[in-house]
Amino acid sequence: MDMEMDIPLPDELELLEAGSHLFQDSLDPPSPDPYTCSPQLELEQSPPQSPSEDAVLFDEKRSKIDDNAGLEVDDEDWLRPVQDRNSGNEEEVVEVVVVEEEEEEEEKIVSRYVSEIDGDFIPVTAPSGGDRVYAKICRVDTEQGAKKLDFKSQSNGLISEPINVLLQKMEQEAFTKALQASSEDQIGEILPETQVMHEKLWVDKYAPNSFTELLSDEQTNREVLLWFKQWDSCVFGSDIRSTSDDILSALRRHSSITQHPKPSDSTFFSKNKGHAWSRGNFRHSNNLEQENSKPKGFQDKWTKKSRLTGPPEQKILLLCGPPGLGKTTLAHVAAKHCGYRVVEINASDDRSSSTIETKILDVVQMNSVMADSRPKCLVIDEIDGALNDGKGVVEVLLKMVSSERKTDTGKENVTKGEQSGRVSSKKGQKTASLARPVICICNDIYAPALRPLRQVAKVHLFVQPTVSRVVSRLKYICNKEGIKTSSIALSALADYTECDIRSCLNTLQFLNKKRQVLNVLEISSQVVGRKDMSRSVFDIWKEIFQKRKMKQDRKSKGSCGSLSNEFDSLLSLVSNRGDYDVIFDGIYDNILQLHYHDPVMQKTVKCFNSLGVSDVIHQYIMRSQQMPLYAYQPCIALSVHRQVAQIQKPNIEWPRSYQRYRTVLMEKMDKLRSWQNKIPSHISRHLSTKSFVEDSVSPILHIISPPTLRPVAVHLLTEREKNDLAQLVSTMVSYSMTYKNIKPDPLACKQENEAALDASSLSVDPPIHEFINFKGYSSGHYALPLAVKQVLVHEVEKQKILQASRSVHITHGHDKQNMYLAERESAMQSAQINHAAAFSGKSISNEKSMINSGQCVPSGSATSPIMDSSRRDLSNVKLKPSVNQKKPTRSSTSFFDRFRKADSKGSQSTDSAGWKTTTLERDSRPLIFKFNEVR
Amino acid sequence: MLWVDKYRPKTLDQVIVHQEIAENLKKLVTEQDCPHLLFYGPSGSGKKTLIMALLRQIFGISAEKVKVENRTWKIDAGSRTIDLELTTLSSTNHVELSPSDAGFQDRYIVHAASAYLTVLVLNEVDKLSREAQHSLRRTMEKYSASCRLILCCNSSSKVTEAIRSRCLNVRINAPKEDQIVKVLEFIGKKEGLQLPPGFAARVADKSNRSLRRAILSFETCRVQQYPFSSNQAIPPMDWEEYVSEICSDMMREQSPKRLFQVRGKLYELLINCIPPEIILKKLLSELLKKLDEELKHEVCHWAAYYEHRMRMGQKAIFHLEAFVAKFMSIYKAFLIETFG
Repeated sequence: MDMEMDIPLPDELELLEAGSHLFQDSLDPPSPDPYTCSPQLELEQSPPQSPSEDAVLFDEKRSKIDDNAGLEVDDEDWLRPVQDRNSGNEEEVVEVVVVEEEEEEEEKIVSRYVSEIDGDFIPVTAPSGGDRVYAKICRVDTEQGAKKLDFKSQSNGLISEPINVLLQKMEQEAFTKALQASSEDQIGEILPETQVMHEKLWVDKYAPNSFTELLSDEQTNREVLLWFKQWDSCVFGSDIRSTSDDILSALRRHSSITQHPKPSDSTFFSKNKGHAWSRGNFRHSNNLEQENSKPKGFQDKWTKKSRLTGPPEQKILLLCGPPGLGKTTLAHVAAKHCGYRVVEINASDDRSSSTIETKILDVVQMNSVMADSRPKCLVIDEIDGALNDGKGVVEVLLKMVSSERKTDTGKENVTKGEQSGRVSSKKGQKTASLARPVICICNDIYAPALRPLRQVAKVHLFVQPTVSRVVSRLKYICNKEGIKTSSIALSALADYTECDIRSCLNTLQFLNKKRQVLNVLEISSQVVGRKDMSRSVFDIWKEIFQKRKMKQDRKSKGSCGSLSNEFDSLLSLVSNRGDYDVIFDGIYDNILQLHYHDPVMQKTVKCFNSLGVSDVIHQYIMRSQQMPLYAYQPCIALSVHRQVAQIQKPNIEWPRSYQRYRTVLMEKMDKLRSWQNKIPSHISRHLSTKSFVEDSVSPILHIISPPTLRPVAVHLLTEREKNDLAQLVSTMVSYSMTYKNIKPDPLACKQENEAALDASSLSVDPPIHEFINFKGYSSGHYALPLAVKQVLVHEVEKQKILQASRSVHITHGHDKQNMYLAERESAMQSAQINHAAAFSGKSISNEKSMINSGQCVPSGSATSPIMDSSRRDLSNVKLKPSVNQKKPTRSSTSFFDRFRKADSKGSQSTDSAGWKTTTLERDSRPLIFKFNEVR
Repeated sequence: MLWVDKYRPKTLDQVIVHQEIAENLKKLVTEQDCPHLLFYGPSGSGKKTLIMALLRQIFGISAEKVKVENRTWKIDAGSRTIDLELTTLSSTNHVELSPSDAGFQDRYIVHAASAYLTVLVLNEVDKLSREAQHSLRRTMEKYSASCRLILCCNSSSKVTEAIRSRCLNVRINAPKEDQIVKVLEFIGKKEGLQLPPGFAARVADKSNRSLRRAILSFETCRVQQYPFSSNQAIPPMDWEEYVSEICSDMMREQSPKRLFQVRGKLYELLINCIPPEIILKKLLSELLKKLDEELKHEVCHWAAYYEHRMRMGQKAIFHLEAFVAKFMSIYKAFLIETFG
């Protein structure tokens, strides 16, 4: 393919380009595009010095031209005419023949033997002789390029004029266009075309068309372009490594130009380019320009040698920034610059998840069969402001990126598949991978819907362009429009609109229509259509806490004016944002971190008074629903600003304290309530959750941890101590308090000594001690020793059982046996405890075993009520200590649960009329199970 | 059982503290017609105890059998239905609930509760919203033939005039100290304790005239050390200790930085369910202990000012902190003036 090609003549090239343009224009809505034309002009002025390289690019076109009518049909297209032949179109028969002849010229593409062709092939039988050859299937885009022309030839049959005439016409048109473009800046005069456009908005008219005209930050521009270039290897198949340096150097040159924008900008630019061209080694920077003008150029560059490097690491570019800084423009210009066709999805389009997915897939994976076969680039504008907060779109994008990640290993295949084009896609490669650049544009980067996207995308934040840059551009436009303006007025305008060039241009055009002159002093009244600038809350806080630096210059003009200016801007800023609740929370949270000079704290007092007023107003508005009163809230923010604003930059954090307070308070209230529900109603009715902590928690905690209780076995206590214990236990039972094991960390459980672990883990069950755990405060509460706690746990258990049985007993009438059993049980338990205590003394481990035995008692007794205590003792001793240690936690919790259920059931049954049936049921069972039931 | 519950008077005859009121209530009930009642007074003064005793007087022992349930109320509010869940406490004869738990939807509760047609006890009426109070007024008029309301609140000033005029207002004072002493001695006798002279008076003094608190701290003392000594330490409330810590913080340094630390501590108190009004009150009383005479008046003024603001507003912490800032400012100015 790249072998024996002639050097194309420059005018032939031109012809081709003109042709492509004609075709493009006839399909797309006509968009007069001076930039795309200018390279043609340049081509004409400076013919290529190193044609051998260009030959590679244009060989195919040359061959088309050789075929007289620009016919070059590739293998696959060849099939279609064969089918069409049945309809009797003679022209196409000729076509086929021509194709075949041509095919036979090229050795490696078409061969008689399959073995000579590597890759995909297709057998072809010549209609005349019946010879069978094998044709290699090359690339998708060449086919399309061919098809494009094929189309034309067909349409040619319908139009009376032959293609040559059309092409010539096109050439002339392009030539005049190019002339216009070159002479535009010098003349600024009204050519027939501009006269038509005279009614157009200047914003559209002077929208940047080339990369050099962009007003946005140079660094950002360059990085966006670089990102685009990284796609080259994947999309175009060119080698990226060699390009990036070239591009960067070229870009650097561009930036150096744009930093001194002159009216003669574009001529300088073209000169520079010509220089680059003549040097010949900037192949890709040339290419970069060419692609813009001749979308077909790159197709031919897909050589087998191209390295299969993947797309850039971050496949999505996220441009963020306030409106009017040129994000959309940058995306469009850069994409065009790199030879992409921009497909834009806008906020007005349907954005449901399913439709968007098909749309994105269309853009990203398919190639157009239509004329404009440049690869597409997806621009999703205003992704944050869309339906459902853009969630649908983001989801689809993320899905595609993640699927890409998964098939990372198969990426090479995928890209290869991309290159072999339609064949692979016909085979049905279903992976929804992202093979085309996607640019998302948003205003608010912190929109919640974008959070996941932020992590995978390459994010660029737009900053305001410098005033001088905007002013120079404005000046340039003014010159062209023939308006007399002073640069002071322009800079004032730019300053006032915060470098929103859209607003500047609208103002200028409006003034021009009214035959007025921009006046420095009346700018605020002259600016039309000032947008509501809604900023993020952080910006607002910053504005409130920070003095503007511009103040000094303004003061020279008159402090009164500057004050009112500042007042106005801040007022509008705050009131545009709304959301006063958050704003004042933020002020409250951050104000004490500021470094304002305040010796007697008067400023602080004033600020807090202001905050208080805002709170009172807020509450009043909420209560009375008088929303118009919200208008007074921003003024309060202003008063805070007057008090504390500093020059230095504040360190602002998102206000969390109030929300945290709310949630924690709710949690604690819930705990209290659930506890209150557990307490028997005749006690809980006197407790109020609101005043509980205020007057009851501390004494109750004192009462349930008496320091007088000695950590000894029960039988060793004196009579009075026993009474105290009984009193304590009844208190704990009536308030449904107990000690509970906190779940120990399983890892720590293995490592640590278990006794030590148990010591830390027993705590009051409704965790009321948490209510006095203030930060930085140590309460003087006496902590009971572990042994006492364990005794208490046990006693509380016993008490509960007794109570439950007693209540059953009382309601029953006289179930003497049951009573007897219960009494006997308790007696046996106490005997057991005494025995265990006597047996093992005061040590903690023995206490535990005692508890164990205590807990074994009920279960054991359930199976055999007349059990010998000594025998049980033996069984206890037999148990391994480790088993003993673990048992209490598990058995006790399950034990409690069972009890609670039974208890609640019991209390309900006492109230309800139907309790008799249940108890009767219980009575009908054997005695053994009764006790369990009661529990 | 705690002594507070154990020695709570069950009937109007057993009442020790508010004997006159109990007598009057008894008379009221025996005449067979009882108007709507509004009990108001500070917490710990015995409002609920009196209400319970009154109910028992009316209905006999069955009034004491109460059950707690979480009732769900389905309320048809025009276009939509609202589901509200509220804990009610009811016997066969009366229903008791605190509608302010339902937040801003309290008026629906008030409205729905009137369907009971029995004696309705409403707690914390002063926390009801204005709308709920209005709907309460309607209920009182409409069902006065079949329904009796007993309202209970801390401050009658937050109950609308209309409701107050429809009720018999019963003010329950905080018990005087000698009354508290009497109660404590009664309990001591019942428990068989030896009270050293002056000890009960000390407990009563520390109790801030709240009977509940007095009895609880009395029991605490009993638990901690039994043969009482007359100079035995009475354990303080933990949160009050914490407030006095905050106070000494405020006296030690006056700066925004210190204010920030104080904010953290105030939040700690608020998080642990201590009402902001009470914090402010305690803060003031602690400050007054330490302040110079000439500053007391001013500080009191500002405390009242900010408490008023706090009640009007929503975010209590703003106003609490504003008071702290104001105090710091006043105190610092005073220090500079006196010491230069």
